[in-house]
Amino acid sequence: MKFKLIYPKWNKLPGQTTFNLPPHGPVVFAAALPADVQVSFTDENVEAINFDEACDFVGISMMLSTQVRRGWAIADEFRRRGKKVIFGGISTMLHAEETTEYADAVFLGEAEGRMEEVINDFKNNTLKKIYNFMGKHPAIETVGPARRDLYNRDLYNHKGVQMVDLFHASRGCRFSCYPCAVSYLGGRVFRPRPVEKVVEDLATIENNRLFVVDNSLAQDKEWETQLFKEMIPFKKKWISHTIEDDPKILDLAAQAGAWYVYQAVYDTSDYIKERIKRYHDYGIGVEGTILLGLDNQNEDDIKRLIDFLLEIDLDLAEFTVMTPFPHTKAYDDLLRENRIFNHDWNHYNAGQVVFHPKQMSANKLQELYDYAWTTFYADESQESKMMRLFTKVVMREMEDGTYRPRNRELVNKSFGKEIIRKP
Amino acid sequence: MKVPENYYSEIFDFKGQWEVPSKCGLKIIRKGGKTFVIVTELYQDNPGTSVTATGYNLAKQICEKKDLPLSQIVYLECTPDTNSVLSFYDEQYFEVTFNDTSKANYRKLSKDEVRILLN
Repeated sequence: MKFKLIYPKWNKLPGQTTFNLPPHGPVVFAAALPADVQVSFTDENVEAINFDEACDFVGISMMLSTQVRRGWAIADEFRRRGKKVIFGGISTMLHAEETTEYADAVFLGEAEGRMEEVINDFKNNTLKKIYNFMGKHPAIETVGPARRDLYNRDLYNHKGVQMVDLFHASRGCRFSCYPCAVSYLGGRVFRPRPVEKVVEDLATIENNRLFVVDNSLAQDKEWETQLFKEMIPFKKKWISHTIEDDPKILDLAAQAGAWYVYQAVYDTSDYIKERIKRYHDYGIGVEGTILLGLDNQNEDDIKRLIDFLLEIDLDLAEFTVMTPFPHTKAYDDLLRENRIFNHDWNHYNAGQVVFHPKQMSANKLQELYDYAWTTFYADESQESKMMRLFTKVVMREMEDGTYRPRNRELVNKSFGKEIIRKP
Repeated sequence: MKVPENYYSEIFDFKGQWEVPSKCGLKIIRKGGKTFVIVTELYQDNPGTSVTATGYNLAKQICEKKDLPLSQIVYLECTPDTNSVLSFYDEQYFEVTFNDTSKANYRKLSKDEVRILLN
């Protein structure tokens, strides 16, 4: 049986450097399919979909709200050709009710141990409209190595440099952060993968650079310590979200190859300043993630926050505007107050204001978002700052003998497309 | 972020969206000839769908369980102050009414209205 797995494209934010990373959700899902299912994968961000490719069953995997409308359109095309389409992935869960209108089946929840039933139903022509496993998490030890063999590697290469591989060591989150849907999607209980399973997965990854996509690694000190100890021999360099603010753990993380972290900067406190400094003390870079438009921020607060970012020596900063994704407290709050004025999911890209902020107009917040990007990168461009971080990792790789030079055959290509150089 | 117990009289188990097992705080107050049903969001102690996202279906489940006529109650949603450093977690009460298609309409209660209701 041939299963066509699609990852829909979305419009990237204007003015920002675009990197297409190999998507994680589809290959984790594919690993849960029965062994006799042949999978062909297309990431529409890097290659066109062949709607006439021979297949029996189509799966559309969606991560972002900005993918859902495109996902629905893709489903329409396949269904016009008589193919059955199933949707899954985290933005399917966020937009499930609408998605059912475009699907033969919608899969909600985590796929491990559940796909035999779905595939059998498909084969028996008894596919259900909804496979609901929300809140019923499979045993975490059943999560096996992802099907990274499905990637067309050359399409995730920019001028000869291979993009990082995405990887996850845990699911769920014990924090309930205001704008985040993870506790709804993955549950409010932190579910670390057994370290031996993580090691088994890591051993299948040839790439020496990773992005550990877990929401926060700072959830269980004992597990985190064990994880980093086991990661050291792999000599990989990796990006992640928050790491525990503990000298021993930061030291272990650095030994295990922590390259840089995404760290939320939500105020101008000494705590934040010290937090950034402690990462740097262990040679770990920091990309600040800054959310603009919260109810407690006025225009002066946002400008002061941006000034603060320039003082604390961040390596990179990523600004987003508050976006009320469904199934978050933010969505509920703004819905009750009738403050959401835009329900076009294509605009839910965290760069476009879709709600009325409390202390300023939507236009003013949009201006401040642009101001934040421009001001932070005024003296040194985003590309140049990224290059500095990249150089650091190359130096570390050279020190420990893991550096791989650019692929000379791909230096004139960016994500599968020829680079047109200006004369 | 734990919701203080004084916000509710009991924990109410309900079926959230897609029948996901969910929990909320519940307090029923009878005052001035009216029945006020207050559902409180429990945040991290709610393993499923929020009270707001469940909306009409939650009101219906409570009325069925407590033998109350849905059309005659005053249905309130409470999002408590969880003593977070984030100031927008301030306590709020909303009166929720549902139209013919079960769509919710919200009216925020003033501090005075909340004080009179709870005292």
